[in-house]
Amino acid sequence: MALTLTCPVCGKRNGYEFRYGGEDKGPRPAEEGMTPSAWCDYVHMNKCTAGVQKEWWFHRDGCGAWFTTYRDTVANLEVDAPEVTE
Amino acid sequence: MFGKMMPRMGTPKWGQKPLWGRKPRLKSHYDAVIIGGGLHGLATAYYLAKAHGLTDVAIIEKRYIGFGGAGRNTAIVRANQRTQYNVPLYKEALDLWPVLTRELDFNLMFNNCGNLNLMHSEAAMKAARMTIATAQFHGVESHLIDAKEAKALVPALNISEDITFPIHGAMFHPPGGIVRHDAVVWGLAKGCAKHGVHIHQQTEATAIHTENGKITGVTTSRGKIHTPRVLVTAGGYSAGIIYHMLGIKLPISVLTIQAMVTQPLKPILDHVVSSGAYHCYANQTLKGEIATGAHMDPWPNYTTQNTAHYIKHQAEALSDWLPCLRGVKFMRIWGGLADMTPDMAPIMDGNNLIDGFYMDCGWGYFGFKSCSAVGKYMAAFMASGNCPEMLKPFNLKRYENHALMGETAALVSYTPDN
Ligand SMILES: Cc1cc2nc3c(=O)[nH]c(=O)nc-3n(C[C@H](O)[C@H](O)[C@H](O)COP(=O)(O)OP(=O)(O)OC[C@H]3O[C@@H](n4cnc5c(N)ncnc54)[C@H](O)[C@@H]3O)c2cc1C
Ligand SMILES: [Zn+2]
Repeated sequence: MALTLTCPVCGKRNGYEFRYGGEDKGPRPAEEGMTPSAWCDYVHMNKCTAGVQKEWWFHRDGCGAWFTTYRDTVANLEVDAPEVTE
Repeated sequence: MFGKMMPRMGTPKWGQKPLWGRKPRLKSHYDAVIIGGGLHGLATAYYLAKAHGLTDVAIIEKRYIGFGGAGRNTAIVRANQRTQYNVPLYKEALDLWPVLTRELDFNLMFNNCGNLNLMHSEAAMKAARMTIATAQFHGVESHLIDAKEAKALVPALNISEDITFPIHGAMFHPPGGIVRHDAVVWGLAKGCAKHGVHIHQQTEATAIHTENGKITGVTTSRGKIHTPRVLVTAGGYSAGIIYHMLGIKLPISVLTIQAMVTQPLKPILDHVVSSGAYHCYANQTLKGEIATGAHMDPWPNYTTQNTAHYIKHQAEALSDWLPCLRGVKFMRIWGGLADMTPDMAPIMDGNNLIDGFYMDCGWGYFGFKSCSAVGKYMAAFMASGNCPEMLKPFNLKRYENHALMGETAALVSYTPDN
């Protein structure tokens, strides 16, 4: 099944309009006290989750927005944000 | 003649048990456990047992041997990589096919028909000159040829100016070609079994255990195994396993890669031809089909689904540079996983973060052509605990040290990192 993604501006669109921007790794680490390993972790390292992950996308062939969404990597389908469990 | 053949065909001897013997009993202890019964797991186990006398080895395979990339790849082998670390490893791998064919007493059907990597701009020709110089320096045959010479080798090639990406020339690598991928799986499995390795199919690794920084065992769907050594060679599944079982993150993105074959045709293509600009490669199999692939959707995806997007892309590309294929029908299409790294080079490392833990992954779409030599060196690594010189440049630390390898230009980089 083909991937569709929901752009916050344009709504649900064909997945090929977008460019993948990586796993969501939280905020960029502070420059102060930065180590090569912390930077490498932020830039290169992935969890490679087989299941639902939060990730970045760029609406390249559309409005140009960057946004995060959730996708099940095993089904290759966008999914609702998982419920927060305390 | 047929009269003689018939009775033997009626009672096929080879059908009684697989080449790799009857199902072994899962023991509670092994000297080494290998997670993943693909090319690299089988090759490493084979060399551990044959070259290092480490025969108490279990291969743990979730589905069946060859389920992963091993049974899905397009079987291209070559040694014209780009950097000085990669070329010698791939050269040795290429040189090993005839050796393994004899040693395993199994026909791996090595067809060294040669590879032609098309160049579609002067910039690409310049990059090819550097790659060729590296290959020649390492004793790998590789030449730059112009469009007319390419056409002489592959008459079906469209060298007119009037296509999307006109052909300027090609990197010609005569010693490369095709090896039968299933034969490699079966031959290595046969060799493993002969030397006492246990191949456990339908057995999934679900946890890797450590104690005080040392490997102690593996839990599988069929019971727990104690072992001091674990190698993860689970292809596209490796990075997920290593993070979720051991908490070690890797610079890997797992993408779906697709391939397909056309209906069988009379012989028209006797080289492996690839094009970075068209994102497409093709060769004709011994059955006459045009086997072709390359496209990947550039986002992580554990499905092995095929996409209409890809079929269209492949048809457009092929009918441009091999116009005689217009109207030919695709017959079969399939997908597998490619674990891509930012520098298009693999990660082979071990016995440092956790004693007795080894990894061999990040092979992307290069893990078939490399498996023979990698099995040999990974086995030496695991048997001694010391990383062989050949594998040292492929360590995980290189990303932290900004020592990425720069294989990127070998073909178009499909990682989400560029
Ligand atoms: C369509 C396609 C075309 C390709 N073309 C080429 C090519 O032309 N040339 C080339 O060199 N390479 C090619 N490749 C790449 C090559 O196939 C892979 O790099 C190679 O198969 C990797 O070998 P491996 O042994 O590491 O993993 P695999 O061969 O993928 O084997 C891994 C095994 O691990 C098993 N496994 C996974 N999880 C677990 C678990 N938890 N427990 C137990 N077992 C587990 C899987 O079932 C699988 O059998 C291609 C790949 C694909 C998909
Ligand atoms: Zn948009």
